[in-house]
Amino acid sequence: MTIEIHHDGPVGWLIFDRPDAGNAIDAQMFVDLEQAWAELDADDTVSVIVNTGNGRAFQSGLDVVQLAQDPEALKASSRQTKRAELRLTAWHCGVTKPVIAAVNGICAGGGLHFIADADIVIASSNAAFLDPHVSVGQVTAFETIGMLKKSPVESIARMAYLGRHERITADRARQLGILSEVVEPEQLRSRAQDIAETIARHPLDQLRQLKRQLWAALEVA
Amino acid sequence: MSYQHLIIERHGPVGWLINNRPDVRNAMNNAMRDEFAKAWTELNEDPAVRVIVHTGEGRDFQTGVDVGELATDGVGMERYRQSMEDFDVHFTSWHQDVWKPVITAVNGICCGGGFHWVADADIVIAASNAQFFDPHVSVGQVVAIEAIGLMKKMPVEAVMRMAFMGKYERMDAERALELGMISEIVDPPERLRERAQELGETIAKNSPAAMAATKKALWGALEHGLTDACKAGAQHLVSMWGHSDQNEGPMAFAEKRNPNWKPLS
Repeated sequence: MTIEIHHDGPVGWLIFDRPDAGNAIDAQMFVDLEQAWAELDADDTVSVIVNTGNGRAFQSGLDVVQLAQDPEALKASSRQTKRAELRLTAWHCGVTKPVIAAVNGICAGGGLHFIADADIVIASSNAAFLDPHVSVGQVTAFETIGMLKKSPVESIARMAYLGRHERITADRARQLGILSEVVEPEQLRSRAQDIAETIARHPLDQLRQLKRQLWAALEVA
Repeated sequence: MSYQHLIIERHGPVGWLINNRPDVRNAMNNAMRDEFAKAWTELNEDPAVRVIVHTGEGRDFQTGVDVGELATDGVGMERYRQSMEDFDVHFTSWHQDVWKPVITAVNGICCGGGFHWVADADIVIAASNAQFFDPHVSVGQVVAIEAIGLMKKMPVEAVMRMAFMGKYERMDAERALELGMISEIVDPPERLRERAQELGETIAKNSPAAMAATKKALWGALEHGLTDACKAGAQHLVSMWGHSDQNEGPMAFAEKRNPNWKPLS
């Protein structure tokens, strides 16, 4: 497994677990992610989901090197990309419960999907955000589109065009409203658990309805 | 191409478009409006230009339409009636379909119609003495297009407040930075152009074709809801597949060298 799942009270944790590869998404994680979201969403004991990473990085996007060695997986990911039918994030997978992203370090490129598609984002003080796509000849689309629907557009556009040459710090991301809280690295998980437990005091049906309505608002042009 | 009211310069990969009516705070008269259309197109079509910087000569960036000309030439705003009703205007990079990254570098005052070039840029930086306000309603005019563009890109309350406060209140560069209307303050103000050039050169290291497709995907997101924007974005994303830059980028990265990008044709 490339995803660690564990439970703490009403909170389900979905943790990227390829720490030696910056938690990059390889062919296995591509499959594991969809299963992990489905499992936590279906689990009656889970009201809120927290998403974070093991090791120093949060998420560094697609593991292009690994995917290139696995033609079938590459084909599948290309097909999903082409049709805008990726199955990486809670939003892609139709998760109905609140999702908190707890960013524990670098969040780069495709890693930004998990920020764009979370309901709440908090970060450790050493977190940083960048989008290196255009520096390696690639287009950035879904993750930056999602982010600019939710944050000041200029800051997201700047990140997209600067590529690997500039990072948004956790403090600036908080100022811009990309995230709502910055904590010391060793406190990140306990703080995420606190926030999740607070949200879990509310009836799950109500949370689900609210989530559906708020995301529907982003569908209006 | 020669210009009376604009200065066009090229420094390395960065094309410069400079408002050049400093005696009237770079207000846009009818002739300047026509020159904008040509200047954006000229820089857009020049393959040596990878990034465009827009700034103002003299103390101020831009102060909107030249009200002096409107008040004295006997034609006034009627000149613009048809083009406004049809929304057939051509003075910003967005109007002119420029798909290269555009940096607006705000020196001094940016007010009224000056916001067109803040709303329609990709990146906005400002000198520490920059000031922003929208005097339309204080001189009996409606503000629409530029405020609408801004509202799509930043917290809405701040734009509304400027629209209703008119000439009686100004936003400083610090507040603009907090709100994400701009992303950088340059201090001292004299360093603005140097910093804009530096930023332009950094962006020019990235793939021109990938940035053009990215720009289309991101501006598309302002036209569509989330799912539709992603579907439209997928088309721009896939348009890059098979382009030589898409292989060159990872190869250069692996070989620890600078990539050789294909220029935009």
